[in-house]
Amino acid sequence: MKKKIILTTLLLLIVIPGLTTAFTYNSKEFKHIISQLDMQGHADHELSTCSVKKIYYDEVVEMLNGGKTEGQIIQSYVDEYGQAALRTPGGGTSGWIAWGMPAAGFGIGSVIVGVWLRKLTRKKAEMQLETKSGWDSEIEKEIAAKIFDEERRKLF
Amino acid sequence: MYLIGNIAIYLGVVISLYGIIANIIGMKRKSSKWLESGRGAVLSLAFISSIASFMLLYILGTSQFQYKYVASYTNESLPMVYKLTAFWAGNAGSLLLWAFLLALYAAMVVFSKEKKNPMMPYVSSILMVNILFFFTVMALNANPFEMTDRIPADGKGLNPMLQNPGMILHPVTLYMGYVGLAVPFAFGIAALILKKMDSEWIKLTRRWTLLAWLFLTLGNVIGGWWAYLELGWGGYWAWDPVENASFLPWLTVSAFLHSVMIQERKNMLKTWNVSLIILSYILTLFGTFLVRSGILTSVHAFGDSNLGTYFLVFMAFMMLFSLYIVMTRYGLIKKDSSPIEAYFSKESSFLLNNLILVAAAFAVFWGTMYPLISETFTGTKVNVGAPYFNKVMAPILLALIVLMGICPLIAWQKAVFEKFMKNTLWPLAMGVVTAIILFAAGIDGIYAVVGLSATSFMLGTHLLEFARGISARRKATKENVLKAAFKLTMKNQRRYGGYIVHIGIALIAVGVIASHSYSTEVLKTVVAGNSITIGEYSLKFNELTEHTKNGNGIVVADIDVTYKGKDIGKIKPEKIFYETWPEPSTEVAIKTNWSQDLYVVLSSWETKDKVTFMVKVNPFVSWIWAGGIIMVIGTAFALAGGRPTSFRFQKNKGTAQTGR
Repeated sequence: MKKKIILTTLLLLIVIPGLTTAFTYNSKEFKHIISQLDMQGHADHELSTCSVKKIYYDEVVEMLNGGKTEGQIIQSYVDEYGQAALRTPGGGTSGWIAWGMPAAGFGIGSVIVGVWLRKLTRKKAEMQLETKSGWDSEIEKEIAAKIFDEERRKLF
Repeated sequence: MYLIGNIAIYLGVVISLYGIIANIIGMKRKSSKWLESGRGAVLSLAFISSIASFMLLYILGTSQFQYKYVASYTNESLPMVYKLTAFWAGNAGSLLLWAFLLALYAAMVVFSKEKKNPMMPYVSSILMVNILFFFTVMALNANPFEMTDRIPADGKGLNPMLQNPGMILHPVTLYMGYVGLAVPFAFGIAALILKKMDSEWIKLTRRWTLLAWLFLTLGNVIGGWWAYLELGWGGYWAWDPVENASFLPWLTVSAFLHSVMIQERKNMLKTWNVSLIILSYILTLFGTFLVRSGILTSVHAFGDSNLGTYFLVFMAFMMLFSLYIVMTRYGLIKKDSSPIEAYFSKESSFLLNNLILVAAAFAVFWGTMYPLISETFTGTKVNVGAPYFNKVMAPILLALIVLMGICPLIAWQKAVFEKFMKNTLWPLAMGVVTAIILFAAGIDGIYAVVGLSATSFMLGTHLLEFARGISARRKATKENVLKAAFKLTMKNQRRYGGYIVHIGIALIAVGVIASHSYSTEVLKTVVAGNSITIGEYSLKFNELTEHTKNGNGIVVADIDVTYKGKDIGKIKPEKIFYETWPEPSTEVAIKTNWSQDLYVVLSSWETKDKVTFMVKVNPFVSWIWAGGIIMVIGTAFALAGGRPTSFRFQKNKGTAQTGR
């Protein structure tokens, strides 16, 4: 029995501080939630001079200390203000369009550039059929290399 | 004074109208007399806008509160430098600044050595249409010389956030960038009107475009620095709609500066290049529209402005006009373009670079406008803030950095893959070694490590390019390293200037990635004598004092700072209570070393001995400013020298291939 009491006391000593730790502005959980909220356009304002931001900060800390989870806190703001409560588009069609459009733009652009490049290089291939390219012999290649080298030296 | 100012504004309208008409008559009748008169009109506009500008500076400097503009943006106790910078603090003044710069640029263009160029009457007419617009808006709606009904004893004063050295440079440099883009735009349109499908307009405007880009870069970097010092939230770029508006033309002009090289060498991408410069110019108008329309919330927006409609109409007019000109000349532009030799070539990599830059511009535009779009179509406003832009732009900019590392190693026309791989080996090794070092040092965050390694790869490529050039030169000339480096760079300022710009971007990338990923923050209330510890810093709060300066109450916190246990002096964050402004202003205290910034904000206080501070340690932020300076140096270097490629191309190849 004595052992049980000692063990329980030890366990409580370990667990209770964890349970009662108050969330503050410096808590990781708090920072994560606050970074998602638009705070009616005041998110980038300086805390000390912005009363709206201060209210949000205090509310979130209070909700966290009241036992609410991140999801519940975010949802409570979305319920109150709609998607405008958040700094980034959430789910739903509107959110998907917001996130998807840059990717779609990039994709469409890639296709256009790809087709363009193909068209332009094909044009070159057609032209090459009519003109001969390359060296007739190794000697000719060597002579050309020497001339290029000489020209390069002159340029310097 | 009132009379002179107003006469100057109305004369601006009349003379620009006259100039346009004189040019049209001159072009129709082929009369040099009329064309000369049109040129005179441009000079008169420069003169008149200078008079109006000096007048405004004078009434601001002498605190003549009978003028609405002076009373609205200055007060007696405002330091002289900010009285003068109030010139561009409001709508009317900034429009006058725009008109002044535009008239000055127009005069420089029209009286340059190219003044007899057949394009010039068209160029000057297009520029005068712009000047006419700005003078008309001032005359109708935003006259800086408007009088008050009753003369106030003192003015309202300048917004405290604008009382910073950034105010002297940031708006002016951005305007110089915006206005500068009107010149290549005017030349591009003039070339199309005249059906001159060669690269002449690009050759003539290369320096103007580079100059505009230089000022846009400078404006954006100074803006970031100012926000970092003044706004007190610890960041430098908030993806605010107006910040985005200045970033958009920067992205499209960056694309243009690369793609013109293909036109110069290969005589291709003509439609694309002219479209890019039109787009860049339209985006400058779009930026101005955003600031003045009030359609989006922004810290930069001018209050109580109804100028949005004017800008919307003008923007639509210029867009439709440009579109019409391009469409009617499309068939001609398409002719005579050369093909690309191979998929794996510098030409292709430049196309990819253009794709990424334009995609980045599209993503920024989309994010900026999305709250408005969502509200219009769904009735629900969806916010798109900094976290959205960070997520969307990170992969795009990473791709750009990787491409910047690859592109210089790819040859023009047709690159040999084996040679490319051989050249890539050292930069690639540098990237891999960076990743290993970062992981070994216990740096977490895979995305940041990837970003930093890619940046290291890109930096390695450019250092290698310099090293190879120097080595080749030394082999041929037996010069010492310094002389070889200097002569190599001087020989091809355009190429190596570009490389210097890329090195600047690498430094900025390091700063942005590190400060985004590894910044730490503490918000803590301390009593006098107690300390705050953050990272390797310890801050001991001593006392809070109060004094008055220029009629404003200043509260200062005195803090002793130690770094790694060593005393590194004091830091004094402030809060200023302005006589003429309801909100206090925050003066951030920063201690910088090469790798991090200690950033302290005096947040609030309960008593003199119990104070709350926001303390941040921002790694590598100073690299952003250093990178910005290097970018400016590189651009100035490219600007100072470098003959356009087309010149060499035409000289060597004759005119047959240039499509003339």
